[in-house]
Amino acid sequence: MASGNMKDIKRRIKSVQSTMQITKAMELVASSKLRRAKERVQNSRPYFNAMYDTITRISAQSRENTVYGRHAAVKNSLFIVIAGDRGLAGGFNANVLKLACAQMEGKNVKVLTVGRKSQEFFGKRGYHSVGDYPGLAETLRISETHEIVDQFLDMYRKQEIDEIFLCYTEFVSPLTQEARCIQLLPSDFKKAENEKRAAATEYDPSPEAVFESIIPEYLYGVLYGAIVESFASEQSARRMAMESASDNASEMIEDLNLSYNRARQAAITQEITEIVAGSGQVGS
Amino acid sequence: MATFHLKVLTAERSFFEGDVDRLVVRTTEGDVGILPRHINYVAALGIGGMTITQNGTSRLAAVSGGFVEVSQDGTTVLARTCEWADEIDVNRARAAQERAKQLLAHKESTQKQELAEIRLKKALNRIRIAEK
Repeated sequence: MASGNMKDIKRRIKSVQSTMQITKAMELVASSKLRRAKERVQNSRPYFNAMYDTITRISAQSRENTVYGRHAAVKNSLFIVIAGDRGLAGGFNANVLKLACAQMEGKNVKVLTVGRKSQEFFGKRGYHSVGDYPGLAETLRISETHEIVDQFLDMYRKQEIDEIFLCYTEFVSPLTQEARCIQLLPSDFKKAENEKRAAATEYDPSPEAVFESIIPEYLYGVLYGAIVESFASEQSARRMAMESASDNASEMIEDLNLSYNRARQAAITQEITEIVAGSGQVGS
Repeated sequence: MATFHLKVLTAERSFFEGDVDRLVVRTTEGDVGILPRHINYVAALGIGGMTITQNGTSRLAAVSGGFVEVSQDGTTVLARTCEWADEIDVNRARAAQERAKQLLAHKESTQKQELAEIRLKKALNRIRIAEK
């Protein structure tokens, strides 16, 4: 019986060890990907900050009579939901999907998914999807966002959708990622605070024309930024999840080793007792 | 000589930052030169060249799309794509030119035609600037 127990423990140690090898490897892969993703986020941030500043200043000048203005009634809402392509990243996918669902409540929703997990999630639940873009995040180039943006802008102009939201995960730091949902269109930039600075600016050819050509530019940028941020978040979430999994595994191996040694000792002790008892009987 | 601060940014990298004498960019309305103490100005960019003059020497770059903003704090060019003349891969641009031409020859939907035309313009612009 004792040797059977030992065998069981040994088998469990082996299986935990091989799991740990996998989690360790995934952790390493995630941290090297994270490094690259972080760089991309840092390279892209100055662009977006400058872009945002400009667009708030311009929107203070131009009236709302552009094609990107507010529609009279909100009937259909489009949600762009960015999640990862793979699981095993802690709460990363669940958090952003949960947030998206909470925001969708009570609305007539269409979705546009980026990332395989997002596609699977909304596909399974029977949402009306206008487009799926899995496996895009890792090697994303800005030109790949054009197709996506042009698609939903076209729908917006044709009044097929009346508002557009974007759900993504912001990369705050390697330890914290925050799921976010922002409204893209109709855009409400904080107008009042910029009004003074916008006073004496010349627009070529007119504020409206400039605004109209900048809006797509802005959206390419926002979408690119959101996907890059989400990817960095995914990697760091995965790295953390795998790190704690590896820690748990090594703890478990320690415990199992202890009980293995105990079982081994117990078996040896029993054997000795048996031998001594046997020899005592032979001797008498 | 007076200079002004110029930042050229793309989504993928910070392309250029420094004090320059003069900037010439191609807007949707045509080439615009910006000198120090320019009035606040915003315009969308077309597909064309961008010349940055710094300490009397000029560098040429190919730009497509984006916009330029001049304010008191400095001038910012936010470009969709942007590369120095010597960075351009001419062979790639030539291949893109061929592809775009073929697409145009097929005469598909107007939307596709427009896209192909833009691609062709971009490719021609790159080739032109690389060979200047």
